[in-house]
Amino acid sequence: MSDRTRIPRRQALMALGALAAGAAAGRFGVTDAHAQSAPTFGQNESVQDAMKRLFGGKTIKDGSAVIKLDIPLIAENGSVVPVAVSVDSPMTTSSYVKYIYIVADKNRIPVVTRVTLAPEAGKASVGANIRLGETGEVRAIVEQSDGTLLQVARDVKVTVGGCGG
Amino acid sequence: MLVAGCAGTSLDAPDYRGIPKWTSRATPEARGDFRTSADGTRVAVRYPGWITRDFDRYPTYAYGDERIDPPVQRVTMPAGVAGDAQKGRALFLSRSKGPCIGCHLVPGDDVWPAGNAGPDQSTIGDRKLPDQYLYQVIWDARAYFPKTMMPPWGTVGVLSPEEVVHIVAYLQTLKGPVAPEKDRERNPVTRPKPAGFGDNLDPTNNPAVVLADDGEALWSARGPSGKACADCHEGGAARAMRGVATRYPKFLKAYERVMSVEDFLEVHAPETTGRTMASQSADNLDMTMYVKRASNGLPVSVDVTSPEARAALARGKVTFYRKVGERNHSCADCHTRETAAGKFLGGRVLADVTAGLTRHFPTWRTDRAEVWDMRKRFQWCMTPLGMNMLAADSIEYAELELYLTAFDNGKPVSVPGIRH
Amino acid sequence: MSDIGKVRLRIPSTIKPGDVVQVRSLVIHPMERIERDAQGKIIQKTYNYINKVTVTYLGKTIAVFDTTQSVSENPFFSFTFKATDPGQLKVEFLDTTGGRYEGTADIKFS
Repeated sequence: MSDRTRIPRRQALMALGALAAGAAAGRFGVTDAHAQSAPTFGQNESVQDAMKRLFGGKTIKDGSAVIKLDIPLIAENGSVVPVAVSVDSPMTTSSYVKYIYIVADKNRIPVVTRVTLAPEAGKASVGANIRLGETGEVRAIVEQSDGTLLQVARDVKVTVGGCGG
Repeated sequence: MLVAGCAGTSLDAPDYRGIPKWTSRATPEARGDFRTSADGTRVAVRYPGWITRDFDRYPTYAYGDERIDPPVQRVTMPAGVAGDAQKGRALFLSRSKGPCIGCHLVPGDDVWPAGNAGPDQSTIGDRKLPDQYLYQVIWDARAYFPKTMMPPWGTVGVLSPEEVVHIVAYLQTLKGPVAPEKDRERNPVTRPKPAGFGDNLDPTNNPAVVLADDGEALWSARGPSGKACADCHEGGAARAMRGVATRYPKFLKAYERVMSVEDFLEVHAPETTGRTMASQSADNLDMTMYVKRASNGLPVSVDVTSPEARAALARGKVTFYRKVGERNHSCADCHTRETAAGKFLGGRVLADVTAGLTRHFPTWRTDRAEVWDMRKRFQWCMTPLGMNMLAADSIEYAELELYLTAFDNGKPVSVPGIRH
Repeated sequence: MSDIGKVRLRIPSTIKPGDVVQVRSLVIHPMERIERDAQGKIIQKTYNYINKVTVTYLGKTIAVFDTTQSVSENPFFSFTFKATDPGQLKVEFLDTTGGRYEGTADIKFS
């Protein structure tokens, strides 16, 4: 079953003026003008700098016992690479996955996404299609509700060739 | 006489008489046109980002183009050039040349991704072949192998004499034993085949499904003549168009030519609704997807028995087997079981024409974030082949498409597709 | 491009109370990538890309994706929710130019 909703395009929204912008500000705490000047979550940086920026010097343990990172060994192109991360977690208010990060080491913008979860998600299981600039490691980093950091990583080869490029 | 997936089936001899001249109605960048730049050079008018080089020297698929392959050059390896194996290796891997690794595996962790459309060269040095022989094979392999699919690199000027000398020196260093593979993806023989992009009809997986919905608005909206498609084709597109696409491409007497759905919309839309639907326009692609998906699940059933169909198939088959372009390739050089279908060309698996390659077109191209119909896919192939493309709605492409579609007969339509 | 902001959601056709349900979502969006000039320097401009995806169920936020230009064009996201009561599931996409797009699904039990 698929469901869809069309809402007015951005131009129409903007025509509603301050109300729309205000609504956005109220819910997410940032106005349109602010969005453009606020420090962005994604930065043009090395993966080492990205890891430092996100996690400081905190210890990140090996998460292979609880994290499943689904990503192809060979990506047909770097434009659309499907990634799925699931974490073995009870997702109760006393023990749940707070954040799942996806980081691509060789990307110019290594931080791909951070998913914030509530226990009402039921499971810690998320997916996204990501861009990969070139062959390299992709990491899934998990922060538990008790602050524990866990990571798994996989090497993904981006392929080329043939008449399709 | 049926053409039903047998590569060896004989067809009528091709007859090129009486084929009408077709004036393209495609969008300006889709016509294969040229313009003259300020300094007098001919520059191709192409889609954004496509190369604009003029490949006029080389044969094209145009029915009037009688040129044959560049003649075979038999050459002697120049004396006085010291072969540098390191330079040769760099050339072998360079994507601005072949790259040679596109077809030939050689040792090295940095060899990614090598193909196996051609023989593995990892121990060619053990064969102690004369330098002159290797030089000639790289320069123009047709001197020894008349039916080869290897491009005549020297004859067409992709490699200079010095460069070939370096490559020969490199090849002569490749001796066994070959180190065991650390990585099963490196060798195309053990590399896993691509998994594809999942369910092409899932709108949360395939953006083209979302774009195809735009066809609905086009179908119902009144065109400049005051009429909508829906006015004549009653009951909604899903009912009115059900099964229609399974019969295309087909010969249409009114236009004296074979037409795909895309070609037909170009003439039909203006004649009825007054709306322009140029080949490669968004409207044409959206409407084509919208019409074709009304046949999803139904078997392709193009006419292969009428005299007109048989004549077109004969010409389409000649096109399929015709060597063209700077690379001197035919479609058949890559896309039949007898040649390289099922093998890797670089990182891509070459498709087998007998499997049926058309029933998922138009398709989403994930790497381009665009919808491509069959004609754009043909035009794209022209680029690495080093050949000037024809207009998207040309009769040559339509008849080649018919030849390909005959192999889809009996198999279910599934539009839009999703591919790399 | 008039298709920007079109959203599609997929949920299973049968949902029982207590099920943990997977949702697939897609939004048409260019996710503009960084451009560089002939010298390789980054062109400074506002790049239009989705930077936040918020999932709410019965009015409560259950998942938020903070996203960057390293997410694919026409981005796909999947996530889960625990179906406790019938009601609305909403996925809202925000982009850097102030664009706001949403898709909703009426969760019913069967």
